Amino acid sequence: MIPPISTTALGRRYGDQVALDNVSLTVDPGTVTGLLGRNGAGKTTLMRIITGQEFPTSGAVRVFGEAPAENDAVLRRMVFVREEQAYPDFRVGQAVRVASWFYPNWSEELARQLLADFGLPLRRRIRKLSRGMRSAVGITIGLAARAELTLFDEPYAGLDAVARQLFYDRLLADFAEHPRTVVLSTHLIDEAADMLERVVMLDRGRVVLDAPADDVRGTTVTVSGPATAVDEFVAGRAVWHRQQLGARASVTVAGPFDVAAHAHARALNLSLEPLSLQQLLVHAASLAAEEKVSA
Amino acid sequence: MTTLVNVARYHLVDPLTYLILPWGVMVFSFLVNLAIAAVVPPSAHGYYTGGLLTIYIFLLICGTLSMTRSLPFGLMLGVSRRGYYLGTALLVVLLGALDGLGLTVLQAIERVTGGWGMGVHFFRVPWIMDGPWYQTWLMSFVLLVLFFLYGMWYGLVFRRWNLPGLLAFIAAQIVVALGVVIVVSVTHDWPAIAHFFTTVTALTLTGVLAAIALTLGFGGFTTLRRVTI
Repeated sequence: MIPPISTTALGRRYGDQVALDNVSLTVDPGTVTGLLGRNGAGKTTLMRIITGQEFPTSGAVRVFGEAPAENDAVLRRMVFVREEQAYPDFRVGQAVRVASWFYPNWSEELARQLLADFGLPLRRRIRKLSRGMRSAVGITIGLAARAELTLFDEPYAGLDAVARQLFYDRLLADFAEHPRTVVLSTHLIDEAADMLERVVMLDRGRVVLDAPADDVRGTTVTVSGPATAVDEFVAGRAVWHRQQLGARASVTVAGPFDVAAHAHARALNLSLEPLSLQQLLVHAASLAAEEKVSA
Repeated sequence: MTTLVNVARYHLVDPLTYLILPWGVMVFSFLVNLAIAAVVPPSAHGYYTGGLLTIYIFLLICGTLSMTRSLPFGLMLGVSRRGYYLGTALLVVLLGALDGLGLTVLQAIERVTGGWGMGVHFFRVPWIMDGPWYQTWLMSFVLLVLFFLYGMWYGLVFRRWNLPGLLAFIAAQIVVALGVVIVVSVTHDWPAIAHFFTTVTALTLTGVLAAIALTLGFGGFTTLRRVTI
């Protein structure tokens, strides 16, 4: 089966600045992938190259098996909603109407529903909307397009928690009925975590993690309890972080943890607490930073 | 082709920029000129204005906007740069034909009414737009398209290389013009140039302008191919 996205040793530099470095990825059809990483990690650059808006300096990208740049047949199968998407001086209704002409699977019903859900005034000019409402316009177009490959880059700048939940709910509901491939870049990792099937983490242009979300979630735990017991338990494991307060220690270690390990922890009276995806990525980023320093 | 038509419709979905403003500004300029003509003493040669230029300048601005303000959303909609450019070019041809026809009709009215009853030459431009109606239409069409494409190229140069690029682009045009002047001076060909302009027919001139418009269009297209958003 042809993957919706595959990149090979993709690189992009801007002068001395390396935005993407040797990125090789494959995204499977019908999945929701979270593209995570700090500001400037290269998430937007990667998505721009995938959608043909930017050109790589090295390596190759294939979308549905073809090079996306200037390829109408491929481009019309995807929608890319950017953070702070720029619009012409249009009214909300005009932008949505225009989008409906370009997407073969466009759902007018879904568009109407989203417009109503977000309370978007059709007659209002987009430039007069608040930041959050502008984001809602992009989300509406991105979801109603029902494009085979849907990319959202931090789509909810300025959106409140209720509206963000609405976005997740609508995305999942529509995704269930009309499967498609979704790539979502976000800083609000824990919020989106339940939705993600796969996480790809970028750090300074490199892929530092690329794994199914379920695998990632169980792999790292924080072990807390009496310091001696904790030390016994974590012996031989990769310690990510250690904190001690008096006789009690709390250590973050990498897995895997099988049934025996859990039984062992219980016997030692230790509590095992899996790291949330967000905590995990914060750790991954600091590890990557240390490696960078030592290298 | 559907994509190209959709891109053209995309620009027109808000009619303000491409339809209402160019005509609004020109009509305003026309009315101001009529008012002035009504109060100044009549001249034997009639009253000439340069007001017609406003619609051409406005189309230049429209061209720039089409490649700056409207580009990011256009490319978000799954359209290639090529599709976006050609779709916009389709709009240019359409607007040039329609606006040109409008100007031709107004010119005919101006002629029939003896310059709106006051000897006003607003839509008649001596020599280049003073012939039969089809010649006026053709000339207006070519000029409108030329201005629009020229504006598009400016917009694209700005999008791709920002202000330094824009200034370099203007400087390059000045250098080219200067080069022509120097070459003509060195070869003492000024009489030949003067001869060309005094003997050229409006139709030939239209052809020359059309060739320039095509060059501008090709230049813009080449610039767009590597524009990133």
